[in-house]
Amino acid sequence: MNETLTIALESMVIGALIGFGASAGVARMFHAPKVQGMGAFRTLGELNACENDPVAHFSFGLGFFFNAWASAVGTGALTSDVDHRIVPHWAAALSMTKNRNLDETLHNPRRMAAYGAGVGLVLVTVLNTTAASIPHSLQNVAADVLGPASEWLINPVMPIVFWMAAVDAGRRSGGWGTVLGGLAHVVMGNAVPGIVLGIVVGKGIDDLGWTRVTKALAGAVVLLFVGSAFLRGVDIQLLQQMKADVPHWLSRLHDATGTTPTK
Amino acid sequence: MTTNDATTTAGAAAPAGRTRGKVPGEGSFWLSEWAFPLFVAALAAGIFAGTHLYYVYRTGTFSDVAVTAMLKGGMDSGSYGAAAAFGAGFLFARIIEGPMVGILDIGGSLQTGVGIGIPAMLLAAGITAPLEHFWLALPTGALLGALIGALILAIRRATVNSAGGTSTFGADVMMGAGNSAGRYLGPLVIIAAATASLPVGLGSTLGAALFYWWKKPLTGGAILGAMLFGLFFPIAGT
Repeated sequence: MNETLTIALESMVIGALIGFGASAGVARMFHAPKVQGMGAFRTLGELNACENDPVAHFSFGLGFFFNAWASAVGTGALTSDVDHRIVPHWAAALSMTKNRNLDETLHNPRRMAAYGAGVGLVLVTVLNTTAASIPHSLQNVAADVLGPASEWLINPVMPIVFWMAAVDAGRRSGGWGTVLGGLAHVVMGNAVPGIVLGIVVGKGIDDLGWTRVTKALAGAVVLLFVGSAFLRGVDIQLLQQMKADVPHWLSRLHDATGTTPTK
Repeated sequence: MTTNDATTTAGAAAPAGRTRGKVPGEGSFWLSEWAFPLFVAALAAGIFAGTHLYYVYRTGTFSDVAVTAMLKGGMDSGSYGAAAAFGAGFLFARIIEGPMVGILDIGGSLQTGVGIGIPAMLLAAGITAPLEHFWLALPTGALLGALIGALILAIRRATVNSAGGTSTFGADVMMGAGNSAGRYLGPLVIIAAATASLPVGLGSTLGAALFYWWKKPLTGGAILGAMLFGLFFPIAGT
Protein backbone atom coordinates (compact mmCIF):
# COMPACT_ATOMS: atom_id res chain seq x y z
CA MET A 1 0.00 0.00 0.00
CA ASN A 2 1.03 3.57 -0.66
CA GLU A 3 2.93 4.94 2.32
CA THR A 4 0.97 8.20 2.64
CA LEU A 5 -2.32 6.32 2.46
CA THR A 6 -1.19 3.93 5.20
CA ILE A 7 -0.16 6.83 7.41
CA ALA A 8 -3.50 8.57 6.74
CA LEU A 9 -5.62 5.51 7.55
CA GLU A 10 -3.68 4.65 10.71
CA SER A 11 -3.79 8.31 11.76
CA MET A 12 -7.58 8.36 11.50
CA VAL A 13 -7.93 5.42 13.88
CA ILE A 14 -5.30 6.85 16.25
CA GLY A 15 -6.85 10.33 16.16
CA ALA A 16 -10.37 9.10 16.89
CA LEU A 17 -9.09 7.01 19.84
CA ILE A 18 -7.04 9.77 21.44
CA GLY A 19 -9.77 12.35 20.84
CA PHE A 20 -12.39 10.14 22.45
CA GLY A 21 -10.30 9.21 25.49
CA ALA A 22 -8.71 12.60 26.13
CA SER A 23 -11.94 14.60 25.81
CA ALA A 24 -13.93 12.28 28.06
CA GLY A 25 -11.11 12.44 30.60
CA VAL A 26 -10.92 16.23 30.37
CA ALA A 27 -14.69 16.60 30.93
CA ARG A 28 -14.35 14.34 33.98
CA MET A 29 -11.66 16.65 35.42
CA PHE A 30 -14.40 19.16 36.21
CA HIS A 31 -16.01 16.58 38.49
CA ALA A 32 -12.73 15.85 40.35
CA PRO A 33 -11.87 14.96 43.04
CA LYS A 34 -15.19 13.05 43.34
CA VAL A 35 -14.65 11.47 39.91
CA GLN A 36 -11.21 10.45 38.62
CA GLY A 37 -10.39 12.70 35.67
CA MET A 38 -7.57 12.76 33.15
CA GLY A 39 -5.78 15.73 31.60
CA ALA A 40 -3.46 18.13 33.42
CA PHE A 41 -3.61 21.03 35.80
CA ARG A 42 -2.60 23.44 33.08
CA THR A 43 -5.33 22.05 30.79
CA LEU A 44 -7.95 22.61 33.48
CA GLY A 45 -6.73 26.15 34.14
CA GLU A 46 -6.58 27.07 30.47
CA LEU A 47 -10.04 25.70 29.75
CA ASN A 48 -11.40 27.74 32.64
CA ALA A 49 -9.49 30.80 31.41
CA CYS A 50 -11.42 30.75 28.11
CA GLU A 51 -14.62 31.47 30.07
CA ASN A 52 -16.95 29.38 27.89
CA ASP A 53 -16.30 31.46 24.79
CA PRO A 54 -16.03 29.22 21.70
CA VAL A 55 -13.84 31.74 19.84
CA ALA A 56 -11.36 31.89 22.72
CA HIS A 57 -11.25 28.08 22.86
CA PHE A 58 -10.73 27.86 19.10
CA SER A 59 -7.93 30.41 18.86
CA PHE A 60 -6.15 28.96 21.87
CA GLY A 61 -6.16 25.59 20.13
CA LEU A 62 -5.09 27.20 16.85
CA GLY A 63 -1.90 28.66 18.32
CA PHE A 64 -0.88 25.22 19.51
CA PHE A 65 -2.03 23.62 16.27
CA PHE A 66 0.66 25.56 14.45
CA ASN A 67 3.11 24.64 17.16
CA ALA A 68 2.26 20.95 16.72
CA TRP A 69 2.33 21.22 12.94
CA ALA A 70 5.74 22.87 12.92
CA SER A 71 7.03 20.32 15.37
CA ALA A 72 5.68 17.42 13.29
CA VAL A 73 7.52 18.81 10.26
CA GLY A 74 10.86 19.19 11.93
CA THR A 75 10.95 16.18 14.16
CA GLY A 76 7.89 13.94 13.71
CA ALA A 77 6.73 14.70 17.26
CA LEU A 78 3.17 16.02 17.40
CA THR A 79 3.84 17.56 20.86
CA SER A 80 1.91 16.84 24.02
CA ASP A 81 -0.28 19.86 23.18
CA VAL A 82 -2.41 17.64 20.91
CA ASP A 83 -3.98 15.86 23.89
CA HIS A 84 -3.55 18.64 26.42
CA ARG A 85 -4.68 21.66 24.47
CA ILE A 86 -5.73 21.34 20.83
CA VAL A 87 -8.21 18.45 21.11
CA PRO A 88 -9.86 19.64 24.37
CA HIS A 89 -10.12 23.26 23.24
CA TRP A 90 -11.41 22.51 19.76
CA ALA A 91 -13.85 19.93 21.09
CA ALA A 92 -15.03 22.53 23.62
CA ALA A 93 -15.32 25.19 20.91
CA LEU A 94 -17.42 22.94 18.65
CA SER A 95 -19.50 21.76 21.56
CA MET A 96 -20.28 25.34 22.60
CA THR A 97 -21.16 26.88 19.25
CA LYS A 98 -24.88 26.49 19.91
CA ASN A 99 -24.98 25.93 23.64
CA ARG A 100 -23.09 27.94 26.26
CA ASN A 101 -24.24 25.87 29.24
CA LEU A 102 -21.07 24.37 30.72
CA ASP A 103 -22.89 21.46 32.38
CA GLU A 104 -24.16 20.33 29.01
CA THR A 105 -20.96 21.00 27.03
CA LEU A 106 -17.46 21.19 28.52
CA HIS A 107 -18.36 19.31 31.71
CA ASN A 108 -20.30 16.60 29.87
CA PRO A 109 -18.03 13.62 29.07
CA ARG A 110 -20.46 12.12 26.53
CA ARG A 111 -20.68 15.24 24.38
CA MET A 112 -16.96 16.06 24.72
CA ALA A 113 -15.96 12.49 23.78
CA ALA A 114 -18.10 12.60 20.64
CA TYR A 115 -16.73 15.95 19.45
CA GLY A 116 -13.22 15.03 20.58
CA ALA A 117 -13.21 11.85 18.48
CA GLY A 118 -14.12 13.90 15.40
CA VAL A 119 -11.53 16.60 16.11
CA GLY A 120 -8.83 14.01 16.81
CA LEU A 121 -9.56 12.06 13.62
CA VAL A 122 -9.11 15.10 11.38
CA LEU A 123 -6.33 16.73 13.40
CA VAL A 124 -3.97 13.76 13.69
CA THR A 125 -4.46 12.87 10.02
CA VAL A 126 -3.66 16.43 8.94
CA LEU A 127 -0.63 16.65 11.23
CA ASN A 128 0.84 13.35 10.07
CA THR A 129 0.18 13.61 6.34
CA THR A 130 0.73 17.27 5.50
CA ALA A 131 3.87 17.67 7.60
CA ALA A 132 6.12 16.63 4.71
CA SER A 133 4.56 19.22 2.37
CA ILE A 134 5.69 22.20 4.47
CA PRO A 135 8.68 24.14 3.05
CA HIS A 136 12.16 23.47 4.40
CA SER A 137 12.47 27.01 5.73
CA LEU A 138 9.58 26.30 8.09
CA GLN A 139 11.10 22.98 9.13
CA ASN A 140 14.22 24.89 10.17
CA VAL A 141 12.17 27.34 12.21
CA ALA A 142 10.51 24.41 13.96
CA ALA A 143 13.82 22.71 14.70
CA ASP A 144 15.78 25.84 15.67
CA VAL A 145 13.09 27.84 17.45
CA LEU A 146 10.46 25.51 18.88
CA GLY A 147 12.95 22.75 19.65
CA PRO A 148 15.11 24.78 22.05
CA ALA A 149 12.08 26.61 23.49
CA SER A 150 10.32 23.39 24.49
CA GLU A 151 13.57 21.91 25.80
CA TRP A 152 14.06 24.94 28.04
CA LEU A 153 10.48 24.68 29.22
CA ILE A 154 10.94 21.07 30.33
CA ASN A 155 14.33 21.89 31.82
CA PRO A 156 15.01 24.18 33.67
CA VAL A 157 11.87 26.38 33.56
CA MET A 158 9.23 23.89 34.69
CA PRO A 159 11.34 22.48 37.52
CA ILE A 160 11.88 26.01 38.86
CA VAL A 161 8.19 26.95 38.59
CA PHE A 162 7.15 23.79 40.46
CA TRP A 163 10.00 24.22 42.94
CA MET A 164 8.92 27.75 43.86
CA ALA A 165 5.30 26.59 44.18
CA ALA A 166 6.43 23.80 46.55
CA VAL A 167 8.52 26.21 48.62
CA ASP A 168 5.68 28.74 48.82
CA ALA A 169 3.19 26.06 49.85
CA GLY A 170 4.74 25.53 53.28
CA ARG A 171 7.80 24.18 55.04
CA ARG A 172 6.87 20.51 54.66
CA SER A 173 6.10 20.51 50.95
CA GLY A 174 9.08 22.80 50.37
CA GLY A 175 11.42 20.48 52.23
CA TRP A 176 10.14 17.27 50.63
CA GLY A 177 9.98 19.00 47.24
CA THR A 178 13.58 20.21 47.49
CA VAL A 179 15.03 16.86 48.55
CA LEU A 180 12.99 14.75 46.11
CA GLY A 181 13.44 17.34 43.33
CA GLY A 182 17.22 17.30 43.61
CA LEU A 183 17.28 13.51 43.84
CA ALA A 184 14.93 13.24 40.86
CA HIS A 185 17.26 15.29 38.71
CA VAL A 186 20.18 13.09 39.75
CA VAL A 187 18.24 9.87 39.22
CA MET A 188 15.78 10.65 36.41
CA GLY A 189 17.36 13.62 34.66
CA ASN A 190 14.38 15.89 35.41
CA ALA A 191 13.38 17.35 38.75
CA VAL A 192 9.64 17.82 38.08
CA PRO A 193 8.41 14.33 39.02
CA GLY A 194 10.33 14.54 42.29
CA ILE A 195 9.01 17.99 43.19
CA VAL A 196 5.43 16.94 42.41
CA LEU A 197 5.80 13.87 44.62
CA GLY A 198 7.34 16.08 47.28
CA ILE A 199 4.26 18.30 47.23
CA VAL A 200 1.97 15.23 47.38
CA VAL A 201 3.81 13.73 50.35
CA GLY A 202 4.32 17.06 52.14
CA LYS A 203 0.73 18.21 51.77
CA GLY A 204 -0.54 14.73 52.62
CA ILE A 205 1.36 14.83 55.93
CA ASP A 206 0.16 18.42 56.54
CA ASP A 207 -3.47 17.35 56.12
CA LEU A 208 -3.49 13.81 57.51
CA GLY A 209 -0.36 13.38 59.61
CA TRP A 210 1.71 10.19 59.54
CA THR A 211 -1.11 7.73 58.81
CA ARG A 212 -1.05 4.39 57.02
CA VAL A 213 -1.82 6.22 53.76
CA THR A 214 1.01 8.74 53.93
CA LYS A 215 3.46 6.06 55.11
CA ALA A 216 2.54 3.87 52.12
CA LEU A 217 2.94 6.89 49.86
CA ALA A 218 6.39 7.73 51.19
CA GLY A 219 7.37 4.07 50.90
CA ALA A 220 6.25 3.95 47.27
CA VAL A 221 8.27 7.09 46.54
CA VAL A 222 11.40 5.57 48.07
CA LEU A 223 10.90 2.39 46.00
CA LEU A 224 10.42 4.48 42.87
CA PHE A 225 13.68 6.33 43.41
CA VAL A 226 15.70 3.23 44.29
CA GLY A 227 14.27 1.37 41.28
CA SER A 228 14.93 4.23 38.86
CA ALA A 229 18.45 4.72 40.20
CA PHE A 230 19.29 1.05 39.59
CA LEU A 231 17.70 1.02 36.12
CA ARG A 232 19.75 4.03 35.04
CA GLY A 233 22.94 2.70 36.61
CA VAL A 234 23.19 5.79 38.79
CA ASP A 235 24.81 3.80 41.61
CA ILE A 236 27.77 2.84 39.39
CA GLN A 237 28.10 6.36 38.01
CA LEU A 238 28.10 7.78 41.51
CA LEU A 239 30.84 5.43 42.69
CA GLN A 240 32.94 6.16 39.60
CA GLN A 241 32.60 9.92 39.97
CA MET A 242 33.54 9.66 43.65
CA LYS A 243 36.68 7.79 42.48
CA ALA A 244 35.64 4.77 44.53
CA ASP A 245 35.96 1.16 43.42
CA VAL A 246 32.83 -0.38 41.96
CA PRO A 247 32.29 -3.77 43.63
CA HIS A 248 32.63 -6.60 41.17
CA TRP A 249 29.25 -8.13 42.02
CA LEU A 250 27.50 -4.81 41.40
CA SER A 251 28.91 -4.27 37.93
CA ARG A 252 28.18 -7.94 37.12
CA LEU A 253 24.57 -7.43 38.25
CA HIS A 254 24.22 -4.36 36.03
CA ASP A 255 25.78 -6.18 33.08
CA ALA A 256 23.43 -9.12 33.56
CA THR A 257 20.34 -6.89 33.64
CA GLY A 258 21.49 -4.58 30.86
CA THR A 259 21.39 -1.52 33.09
CA THR A 260 24.97 -0.31 32.70
CA PRO A 261 25.07 3.51 32.44
CA THR A 262 25.47 4.74 28.88
CA LYS A 263 27.23 8.04 29.35
CA MET B 1 -13.86 -4.52 37.61
CA THR B 2 -14.97 -5.38 41.08
CA THR B 3 -14.51 -1.92 42.52
CA ASN B 4 -17.55 0.05 41.43
CA ASP B 5 -20.07 -0.79 44.16
CA ALA B 6 -19.56 2.41 46.11
CA THR B 7 -19.97 4.82 43.21
CA THR B 8 -22.99 3.15 41.67
CA THR B 9 -24.86 3.08 44.94
CA ALA B 10 -23.73 6.58 45.87
CA GLY B 11 -24.58 7.91 42.44
CA ALA B 12 -27.89 6.11 42.07
CA ALA B 13 -29.78 8.98 43.63
CA ALA B 14 -28.15 11.63 41.48
CA PRO B 15 -30.04 11.18 38.16
CA ALA B 16 -33.35 11.72 39.96
CA GLY B 17 -32.27 15.24 40.82
CA ARG B 18 -31.46 16.04 37.20
CA THR B 19 -34.32 17.10 35.00
CA ARG B 20 -32.45 17.18 31.67
CA GLY B 21 -31.93 13.74 30.21
CA LYS B 22 -28.99 14.67 28.01
CA VAL B 23 -26.47 15.40 30.75
CA PRO B 24 -24.93 12.28 32.28
CA GLY B 25 -25.32 12.41 36.04
CA GLU B 26 -22.78 11.17 38.53
CA GLY B 27 -23.14 7.41 38.67
CA SER B 28 -24.03 7.13 34.99
CA PHE B 29 -21.64 5.33 32.68
CA TRP B 30 -19.79 8.48 31.57
CA LEU B 31 -18.94 9.58 35.11
CA SER B 32 -18.70 6.13 36.67
CA GLU B 33 -15.52 4.81 38.22
CA TRP B 34 -15.18 1.82 35.91
CA ALA B 35 -15.47 3.92 32.75
CA PHE B 36 -12.13 5.51 33.67
CA PRO B 37 -9.93 2.54 32.65
CA LEU B 38 -11.84 2.40 29.36
CA PHE B 39 -11.05 6.03 28.54
CA VAL B 40 -7.40 5.53 29.55
CA ALA B 41 -7.29 2.41 27.35
CA ALA B 42 -8.64 4.31 24.31
CA LEU B 43 -6.16 7.14 24.77
CA ALA B 44 -3.21 4.83 25.49
CA ALA B 45 -4.02 2.68 22.44
CA GLY B 46 -3.90 5.79 20.25
CA ILE B 47 -0.69 7.06 21.83
CA PHE B 48 1.12 3.71 21.59
CA ALA B 49 0.00 3.34 17.96
CA GLY B 50 1.32 6.88 17.37
CA THR B 51 4.73 5.70 18.54
CA HIS B 52 4.42 2.76 16.13
CA LEU B 53 3.80 5.31 13.36
CA TYR B 54 6.95 7.16 14.43
CA TYR B 55 9.00 3.95 14.63
CA VAL B 56 8.04 3.01 11.07
CA TYR B 57 7.44 6.35 9.31
CA ARG B 58 9.22 8.91 11.55
CA THR B 59 6.09 10.92 12.33
CA GLY B 60 3.33 10.65 14.91
CA THR B 61 4.58 10.50 18.51
CA PHE B 62 2.37 12.40 20.93
CA SER B 63 5.27 13.61 23.05
CA ASP B 64 7.23 16.81 22.87
CA VAL B 65 10.28 17.29 20.70
CA ALA B 66 12.77 16.88 23.53
CA VAL B 67 11.20 13.65 24.78
CA THR B 68 10.84 12.17 21.31
CA ALA B 69 14.50 13.02 20.72
CA MET B 70 15.43 10.59 23.51
CA LEU B 71 13.59 7.75 21.77
CA LYS B 72 15.17 8.72 18.45
CA GLY B 73 18.57 8.72 20.14
CA GLY B 74 17.88 5.14 21.17
CA MET B 75 16.71 4.16 17.69
CA ASP B 76 19.89 5.62 16.20
CA SER B 77 22.38 4.27 18.72
CA GLY B 78 20.59 1.20 20.06
CA SER B 79 20.87 2.37 23.64
CA TYR B 80 17.44 3.06 25.06
CA GLY B 81 18.44 3.62 28.71
CA ALA B 82 17.73 7.36 28.79
CA ALA B 83 14.30 7.13 27.15
CA ALA B 84 13.26 4.11 29.20
CA ALA B 85 14.30 5.60 32.53
CA PHE B 86 12.85 9.03 31.80
CA GLY B 87 9.54 7.59 30.58
CA ALA B 88 9.22 5.02 33.33
CA GLY B 89 10.10 7.60 35.98
CA PHE B 90 7.32 9.90 34.79
CA LEU B 91 4.86 7.02 34.52
CA PHE B 92 5.45 5.83 38.09
CA ALA B 93 5.33 9.35 39.46
CA ARG B 94 2.06 10.09 37.69
CA ILE B 95 0.45 6.82 38.74
CA ILE B 96 1.18 7.68 42.36
CA GLU B 97 0.11 11.30 41.92
CA GLY B 98 -2.97 10.78 39.70
CA PRO B 99 -5.34 9.24 42.23
CA MET B 100 -4.26 11.67 44.97
CA VAL B 101 -5.18 14.78 43.04
CA GLY B 102 -8.08 13.33 41.01
CA ILE B 103 -6.42 14.13 37.70
CA LEU B 104 -4.19 11.70 35.83
CA ASP B 105 -1.61 13.74 33.94
CA ILE B 106 -1.81 12.60 30.32
CA GLY B 107 1.56 14.09 29.42
CA GLY B 108 3.63 12.31 32.04
CA SER B 109 1.71 9.05 32.34
CA LEU B 110 0.56 8.24 28.84
CA GLN B 111 2.49 10.39 26.39
CA THR B 112 5.86 10.06 28.11
CA GLY B 113 5.29 6.73 29.89
CA VAL B 114 3.25 4.66 27.43
CA GLY B 115 4.40 6.59 24.35
CA ILE B 116 8.15 6.73 25.02
CA GLY B 117 9.18 4.87 28.20
CA ILE B 118 7.46 1.53 27.58
CA PRO B 119 8.37 1.37 23.85
CA ALA B 120 11.98 2.14 24.83
CA MET B 121 11.91 -0.70 27.38
CA LEU B 122 10.44 -3.10 24.81
CA LEU B 123 13.02 -2.09 22.21
CA ALA B 124 15.85 -2.38 24.74
CA ALA B 125 14.65 -5.93 25.42
CA GLY B 126 14.64 -6.65 21.67
CA ILE B 127 10.84 -6.80 21.36
CA THR B 128 10.02 -4.89 18.19
CA ALA B 129 6.77 -6.51 16.97
CA PRO B 130 4.26 -4.22 18.77
CA LEU B 131 6.05 -1.20 17.31
CA GLU B 132 6.34 -2.58 13.81
CA HIS B 133 2.72 -3.64 13.34
CA PHE B 134 -0.29 -1.37 13.70
CA TRP B 135 -2.66 -4.26 14.53
CA LEU B 136 -0.41 -5.25 17.45
CA ALA B 137 0.24 -1.70 18.62
CA LEU B 138 -3.45 -0.96 19.26
CA PRO B 139 -4.20 -3.85 21.67
CA THR B 140 -0.81 -3.44 23.37
CA GLY B 141 -1.55 0.21 24.08
CA ALA B 142 -5.14 -0.54 25.15
CA LEU B 143 -3.98 -3.23 27.57
CA LEU B 144 -1.36 -0.93 29.10
CA GLY B 145 -3.95 1.83 29.43
CA ALA B 146 -6.53 -0.43 31.06
CA LEU B 147 -3.90 -1.66 33.56
CA ILE B 148 -2.88 1.90 34.42
CA GLY B 149 -6.52 2.94 34.81
CA ALA B 150 -7.26 -0.02 37.09
CA LEU B 151 -4.14 0.66 39.14
CA ILE B 152 -5.16 4.31 39.60
CA LEU B 153 -8.57 3.24 40.85
CA ALA B 154 -7.00 0.73 43.24
CA ILE B 155 -4.69 3.38 44.73
CA ARG B 156 -7.59 5.83 44.89
CA ARG B 157 -9.60 3.30 46.84
CA ALA B 158 -6.76 2.85 49.34
CA THR B 159 -6.04 6.57 49.79
CA VAL B 160 -8.43 9.38 48.82
CA ASN B 161 -11.59 7.32 49.11
CA SER B 162 -10.54 5.57 52.30
CA ALA B 163 -12.14 6.49 55.61
CA GLY B 164 -11.10 9.94 56.81
CA GLY B 165 -9.44 10.77 53.50
CA THR B 166 -9.78 14.52 53.68
CA SER B 167 -6.56 15.56 51.96
CA THR B 168 -6.27 16.70 48.35
CA PHE B 169 -2.50 16.15 48.55
CA GLY B 170 -1.56 19.61 47.32
CA ALA B 171 -3.73 19.56 44.19
CA ASP B 172 -4.17 23.33 44.38
CA VAL B 173 -0.40 23.91 44.60
CA MET B 174 0.27 21.83 41.52
CA MET B 175 -2.66 23.39 39.69
CA GLY B 176 -1.08 26.80 40.19
CA ALA B 177 2.36 25.62 39.11
CA GLY B 178 0.90 23.88 36.05
CA ASN B 179 -0.90 27.03 35.02
CA SER B 180 2.11 29.28 35.38
CA ALA B 181 4.47 26.82 33.63
CA GLY B 182 2.37 27.06 30.46
CA ARG B 183 2.76 30.84 30.45
CA TYR B 184 6.55 30.61 30.03
CA LEU B 185 6.38 29.03 26.59
CA GLY B 186 5.68 32.27 24.69
CA PRO B 187 8.70 34.21 26.01
CA LEU B 188 10.88 31.11 25.57
CA VAL B 189 9.84 30.92 21.90
CA ILE B 190 10.80 34.57 21.38
CA ILE B 191 14.20 34.04 23.03
CA ALA B 192 14.86 30.91 20.94
CA ALA B 193 13.76 32.75 17.79
CA ALA B 194 16.06 35.70 18.45
CA THR B 195 18.90 33.24 19.10
CA ALA B 196 18.23 31.40 15.83
CA SER B 197 18.32 34.49 13.60
CA LEU B 198 17.63 38.22 13.83
CA PRO B 199 14.73 38.48 11.33
CA VAL B 200 12.99 35.45 12.85
CA GLY B 201 13.45 36.98 16.30
CA LEU B 202 11.88 40.26 15.12
CA GLY B 203 8.97 38.38 13.53
CA SER B 204 8.38 36.38 16.67
CA THR B 205 8.40 39.50 18.85
CA LEU B 206 6.03 41.31 16.52
CA GLY B 207 3.64 38.35 16.36
CA ALA B 208 3.59 37.95 20.12
CA ALA B 209 2.97 41.67 20.65
CA LEU B 210 0.07 41.66 18.16
CA PHE B 211 -1.52 38.60 19.75
CA TYR B 212 -1.17 40.15 23.18
CA TRP B 213 -2.80 43.32 21.87
CA TRP B 214 -5.69 41.23 20.47
CA LYS B 215 -6.00 39.50 23.86
CA LYS B 216 -4.96 36.11 22.48
CA PRO B 217 -2.34 33.78 24.05
CA LEU B 218 0.96 35.32 22.97
CA THR B 219 2.61 31.92 22.43
CA GLY B 220 0.55 31.47 19.24
CA GLY B 221 1.65 34.87 17.92
CA ALA B 222 5.30 34.24 18.74
CA ILE B 223 5.17 30.95 16.81
CA LEU B 224 3.25 32.35 13.82
CA GLY B 225 5.52 35.41 13.59
CA ALA B 226 8.66 33.26 13.72
CA MET B 227 7.31 30.95 11.02
CA LEU B 228 6.19 33.80 8.73
CA PHE B 229 9.55 35.57 8.90
CA GLY B 230 11.38 32.26 8.60
CA LEU B 231 9.55 31.69 5.33
CA PHE B 232 10.87 34.96 3.83
CA PHE B 233 14.26 35.03 5.56
CA PRO B 234 15.23 31.36 5.87
CA ILE B 235 17.60 30.42 8.68
CA ALA B 236 20.50 28.13 7.90
CA GLY B 237 19.10 25.21 9.88
CA THR B 238 20.89 22.60 11.90
